[in-house]
Amino acid sequence: MAEFFQQLVAGLATGGIYATLALALVLIHRATGVINFAQGEMGMFSTYIAWSLIYTYGLTYWLAFAITVLISFGGGAGVYGTVIRPLQRSGELIVVVSTIALFVILNGAAGWIWSPEERAFKSPFPNRVFTIGGVTISWQDVGTIIVSLACVLLVFLFFRLTRTGLMMRAAALRPTTSRLLGIRVTIMLGLGWGLAAGLSAVAGMMAAPVLVLTPNFMLTVLVYAFAAAVLGGIDSPLGAVAGAYVLGVGISMLSTYVDYIATAPELQLPVALAVLLVILLFRPAGLFGRTVVRRV
Amino acid sequence: MQRVRVDAALVGRLAALAAAALFVGLYPLFVSSYKASEFVLVGIYFIAILGLNILSGYNGQISLGHGAFMGIGAYTTAILVSKYHVGELWTIPLAALVAGTIGFLFGFPALRLSGVYLALATFGLAVAFVQLTQSFHFASFTGGGTGLSIGLPKTPYYLTWGIAGGMFCVAWLLLRGRIGRAFTAVRDAPLAAVSSGVSLAAYKTLAFGISAAYAGVAGSLFAMRYGFINPLEFSVALSILLLTGAALGGLGSLEGMIFGALFIQYAPGYGEKISKTAPSVMYGVILLAVLFVVPGGAAQLLKRLRRLLKQAAKPLYSRLGTPAVETAATSTRSEK
Amino acid sequence: MKKAMLTLCAAAAAMTVGLTGALGGSQATPGVSAKIIKIGGTFPLTGAASSYAPIPRGMAAYFSYLNAQKGHKRGINGRQVQFIYYDDAYNPAQTVQQTQRLVEQDRVFALVGGLGTEPQLAVRDYLNQKQVPQIYVSTGATTFGSDQARHPWTVGWQPDYQAEGALYGKTIAHDNPNAKIAIIVQNDDYGNDYIAGFKAGLGHKQDQIVSTRGFQVTDPSVASQLTDLKRSGADTLMIFATPAKTIQTYATLARIGWKPDIYVNSVSATDAFMTTAVKLAGADTVNGSISVEYLKDPANPKWASDAGMQLYRKIMAQFLPDANANDGLYLYGMAKAYSFAQAVVKTGSNLTRANFMNAVLNMTDKTNPFALPGVVIKTGKKDAFPISQMKMIKFNNGTWTETGSLVNGRGK
Repeated sequence: MAEFFQQLVAGLATGGIYATLALALVLIHRATGVINFAQGEMGMFSTYIAWSLIYTYGLTYWLAFAITVLISFGGGAGVYGTVIRPLQRSGELIVVVSTIALFVILNGAAGWIWSPEERAFKSPFPNRVFTIGGVTISWQDVGTIIVSLACVLLVFLFFRLTRTGLMMRAAALRPTTSRLLGIRVTIMLGLGWGLAAGLSAVAGMMAAPVLVLTPNFMLTVLVYAFAAAVLGGIDSPLGAVAGAYVLGVGISMLSTYVDYIATAPELQLPVALAVLLVILLFRPAGLFGRTVVRRV
Repeated sequence: MQRVRVDAALVGRLAALAAAALFVGLYPLFVSSYKASEFVLVGIYFIAILGLNILSGYNGQISLGHGAFMGIGAYTTAILVSKYHVGELWTIPLAALVAGTIGFLFGFPALRLSGVYLALATFGLAVAFVQLTQSFHFASFTGGGTGLSIGLPKTPYYLTWGIAGGMFCVAWLLLRGRIGRAFTAVRDAPLAAVSSGVSLAAYKTLAFGISAAYAGVAGSLFAMRYGFINPLEFSVALSILLLTGAALGGLGSLEGMIFGALFIQYAPGYGEKISKTAPSVMYGVILLAVLFVVPGGAAQLLKRLRRLLKQAAKPLYSRLGTPAVETAATSTRSEK
Repeated sequence: MKKAMLTLCAAAAAMTVGLTGALGGSQATPGVSAKIIKIGGTFPLTGAASSYAPIPRGMAAYFSYLNAQKGHKRGINGRQVQFIYYDDAYNPAQTVQQTQRLVEQDRVFALVGGLGTEPQLAVRDYLNQKQVPQIYVSTGATTFGSDQARHPWTVGWQPDYQAEGALYGKTIAHDNPNAKIAIIVQNDDYGNDYIAGFKAGLGHKQDQIVSTRGFQVTDPSVASQLTDLKRSGADTLMIFATPAKTIQTYATLARIGWKPDIYVNSVSATDAFMTTAVKLAGADTVNGSISVEYLKDPANPKWASDAGMQLYRKIMAQFLPDANANDGLYLYGMAKAYSFAQAVVKTGSNLTRANFMNAVLNMTDKTNPFALPGVVIKTGKKDAFPISQMKMIKFNNGTWTETGSLVNGRGK
């Protein structure tokens, strides 16, 4: 039983890494209706900014954390204003391709500015473990999970309780109606992109201490976050986070208890994706998404 | 309708195509064999994104996994040649068949998915393809992470472009006929399509199958070109590259695809020329710049060009007094 | 009649081709003139493997240094070195394309240092068929040395992975015969090479391996694998992984609270990587790790006054002033460039590809200033493994110390 719980902890810790980025993907999808391929790279770039603030300019971790989130927020809103919005008239696919261009630019620029070598971006949480009932748990993992849950809670409360949050939801769901009601849709959608960029910054800063900071470290996280967001329902923030934990724990269990996969790690992701596909066939809008019924 | 009318748009288009064919035919005579070998890849990309365009442009289904269909075609050829000693040329239709069948089957789960969910499913296919071909479990068949060798790199220039030309014509004939109309109906007005007796399932899976068959042919030629096949060559990056090419060519336009293919083959090299230290940044910037200048891709550019030409030719027409030309041209445009 | 004309034309054409070939003769070795020797290579400068980009830059810096010498020392034997390297993004198809570009368009004399097992495998047949030297590839895959008979134009450089793995196996069988061994391994040919060598080295002690877990390079996390290995009750952990994944393994070990004896492959065991690992995982997880080395490590302070290291620093300061000189990959590149220069010198005045390959496969060079003292770069007709000597090292308090003398990994 200890083994099960130990793997559960490992899975939750990994899920925590996907969760925040999955949440960011959901916010972008709600605001713009596309998958932002540059989402992971935005987080990567932000993490490098934080790294510079801490290790070059000597700031304390949490100060650098806060500044980075703010810079990323501005950057995300800026990207929306300068790149995404002007291209939106040209159709979804063009916007998707423009996020691919952003991906390429950010990835290349990070290697250029900070060099591609591995950097140590330390965790703010103590590098210690504690044991409960034979299960070893690290404070760093606990910290990561708490931060990811805090993010989803904040986003949830922001959308539910604040006027701006309400306007943002309205702008994303019914842009034309919102405009008629006097909501400044462009600004609201820009806020959405800013918020998503801030979240990816958090995701990057939480993932870097264990995945090791390089220009490519968020590359594969994006794949899993994308899968998690779709699993949970691409329009449901809570679903995305739940999806991330389900995915993290699921893969952890899959590779422990299914011997065939334990010895063939290359089958892990294909099997996980196949399972995901089957789930989607039964619930085409994800576990927590609402299906718009339109039978044809 | 019995009267033969001179369709100016069609004539112009045919003239442009003839010019393009002439250029492609003569190109290797004037450049080094290396440059010609580079141009083979343009042809291969052209075939692949023609197929992607049938799916995404005409049938409205997105695919982030066309690199995998190309990989299936390439592996079909490589396995048949290296393990069963089938003649290379014979493997081309077989590659189309295998990739097309798998694509057709993949179309069934895709039926229930749309938009971002379909994007994930196809994306998953691209990711899974690499890992499955790398797997040691199937290594005796696929060569695993080491890959398969079928000989030396070659330059199947006229073969590739001949096939590309043929498949372009096939796509053109296919799309202007009944199937093409059904495809676009399914894309634009699924409800109306169903009520007029068009089966969504049949046409969506058919589009997937045809599209994958195109990618399979491209993959087969790819295997012949390089003589060495490795899973890393068919990564998600290839799928994304193809999507970029299709978008830049202009979805819903066949001749635009040639420009998409040219772009994805040559733009990274130009990025490297501009900046040796950050070539990919330059490539990304070029890509964004193109999106901003012509968001509709090369197709939009061609349309603009056509309009300009027509305006320039207008005085000529009026002097000749052939108004029929004008109406015919407009009617073909509004049909689309 | 028509047929006869055609035959005549064909004969004439064939003769012209033959004649130009014959006339070209000794003069026409591609990429070589009285003043210049042009060589090339393909490397991942972009994409997921771009952290290896310092290797060609280090090579280029060393060639620039040679080219800037005065008088008779200028270049190699008076020839300026032109080193052209292209990005292949670690995609074998692009390796083929760029290698053809180097051979057919740039007409280089040889390909030197090309990086990556799969990419270099993709062009091996092509280069051997064209009889273009493919030397000192930047991979330790055993096949590049062991397949010499079928690929006479291909030669590796660094100690091969199997030899290194075998050395760990022998060491454990000898020093710690009761060890319970767990292995975390990259699930590809690279990892398999290490495992094959390691098992061979362990010999009849193979059943000491209690658990082996693999991961994909694309897996974000290795937590599940390590959790499983910890549970197996092992006290010794072998890490056969590339640098980023190795550092990640250390960081994850700290998070699951496991402190086994660790052996780590040399690719990931430079001071720079280990320093990063210490920062993320803490010194007590990383300390005591065992590995091997064959080159001097620029981040290790013990070489500060070493003449070879000072030369390295001088070249870095002059030609790559903005680069992080503590990154051992630059030194790896320079050491390789040095080997190439030695082989050209050894070839002598008649620099053809065939003569050059003879020299490359008949080297005994003890002078490489960047290799560990005593390392001999040695090849023979049946030995295409230039470097096979290594030294066991142990990591403690921020730096590696040698724990033994030079050993020959291939037992020769």
